[in-house]
Amino acid sequence: MNYRAAILLAIPTLGISLAAFLRPMAVVRVPVTGTVFYRGDVASGDIINMSVDPFCASQQATAQATNRSVYTGANGGLQDVVVFVKTGIPPDPGSLSGEMPLLDQQGCMYRPRIVAMRTDQPLVIRNSDATLHNVHVYAEVNRGFNIGQPFQGVESQRRFSDQEIGIDVRCDIHGWMNGAIAVFSHSYFDVTTPDGQFSLDLPPGDYDIEAWHPQLGSSTQTVTVRAGEMTPLVFEF
Amino acid sequence: MRKPATTLLGILILTATLSASAQVPEDGAGLYTLACASCHGEDGAGTDPGTVAFVTPVPDFTDCSFASREPDADWIAVAHDGGPVRAFDETMPAFGEALTVDHLQLVMDHIRTFCKNVSWPRGELNLPRALFTEKAYPEDEAVTTVSVDVEGSRAITNTLLYERRFGPRSQFEVEVPIGLTETGPGSGWRAGFGDIALGIKHALFHSFASGSILSLGGEIKLPTGSESAGLGGGTVVLEPYISFGQILPSDAFVQLQALAEFPTETDNAASEGKWRAVVGKTWTQGSFGRTWTPMLEVMGETELENLDAVLWDLVPQVQVTLNTRQHVMLNAGMRIPVADTTLRSSQIVVYILWDWFDGGLFDGW
Repeated sequence: MNYRAAILLAIPTLGISLAAFLRPMAVVRVPVTGTVFYRGDVASGDIINMSVDPFCASQQATAQATNRSVYTGANGGLQDVVVFVKTGIPPDPGSLSGEMPLLDQQGCMYRPRIVAMRTDQPLVIRNSDATLHNVHVYAEVNRGFNIGQPFQGVESQRRFSDQEIGIDVRCDIHGWMNGAIAVFSHSYFDVTTPDGQFSLDLPPGDYDIEAWHPQLGSSTQTVTVRAGEMTPLVFEF
Repeated sequence: MRKPATTLLGILILTATLSASAQVPEDGAGLYTLACASCHGEDGAGTDPGTVAFVTPVPDFTDCSFASREPDADWIAVAHDGGPVRAFDETMPAFGEALTVDHLQLVMDHIRTFCKNVSWPRGELNLPRALFTEKAYPEDEAVTTVSVDVEGSRAITNTLLYERRFGPRSQFEVEVPIGLTETGPGSGWRAGFGDIALGIKHALFHSFASGSILSLGGEIKLPTGSESAGLGGGTVVLEPYISFGQILPSDAFVQLQALAEFPTETDNAASEGKWRAVVGKTWTQGSFGRTWTPMLEVMGETELENLDAVLWDLVPQVQVTLNTRQHVMLNAGMRIPVADTTLRSSQIVVYILWDWFDGGLFDGW
């Protein structure tokens, strides 16, 4: 092999090496999982009287919705808790998912009761009921709004520009309907499942992680995330 | 990371949509039942407080005094964008993403059926108030008008006007001029009341279909002003008038007024005939925002015993709504003599109008 052939062979090798060197290093993400438990007595709540609206009353005949504010799984896990990184937020806020969070009105109740979303992410607001609902959003940092959705199947979309946790959502017609929205400027948040579980993917680092429930308040833990297996977190209310 | 309750619509479509299952009525009554009756009642009188979750009183659409006085456009603005678009309570939601303006017009047509007394003239016939021409529509308004001579011996007049409706078609009014006149170059100013006037107006005819309204009115001016200060006529003056308003296409309009002034003591003043006409057109900022109404007023007057000597004036002017509620307005213009200009000065004329039935002066900004 003469030196010319050696150079020709070396060029692609060097190119590949250089490309690999210049490529951004993949950010290591560590799954941080956990469970939020409720240690108090869970009141079963009263069956909501929906007789003021014939449609709602017809739905209530099968759904038996109650006015309880705390929902737990068989393991005592607490549903509807927003778990999020409060301090130590990574420089990379995470990408905006193409998925659009949904706030639905089904059986004259909000489904889900708690919506967590990113700033500037479209929120789909849908009325799946064959009766009039209004969606009155009492934002304080962001701009609130109040829209009427008189038909089954009507949808609107809204975005929130700033982080705000605990935006009240109410229907002024059906007083029992209330929900909440949590808006984050990053993607490091989750809402607990019916058995209280949550999952966050975080780069290694030190964080304050908060668990927030609209009626029970909040609880914060300081956590150091390292590459490798993480001990599941436990929050208690 | 798992995202709760998401839907994979993917594309960022920021408009309201109706699914294929949505059954949208195409008649006003059906639309009203679905979108309005839960709060406003099937009969328009409002639902029982116990059946809704808010405490804000809802208006009674069967009350003609309330329901007749604002035009459809204002109602549709509130239904489309919600109460805050006119600085009303935010409990009234915005339906503009679920219903089109055409839908809302159908709803309005149905709401108009709740007032059973057709004697009440529709709010559309309440045309913008000109600086001088008396409009035919009976109103609940307070107006303060300032006139300033721009040349010659100067005079500033501030006229306070209070108008109040009674019954479907009638109105009475009280007008109190307060004048400030320069008694001579460099010799100071005198202030005082002018001739206070009491008036009454009644709409003889009105038709929303034809866009017309015709009223007959009259005023009596009392000699309360100082004649020597140039603030009063020194005699009682009777002033019958007739006013006509006509809606034209494209938010334009014309208003006409003819009046006569008959002093009871002809030694002090002559009987006069006056006529006024104003044409204008209203533009709205955005869909439901501030309105601007440029107008041109033409006025003539003559002594009834000398009909050849006619004084003509032109008054270009612009009225604009000042606040979100749109019940406080300003009109500014210039009264320009076009005949006998040597003895008469041009005047800057400005009024602030407060439609007090729609709320306090400081409400709705």
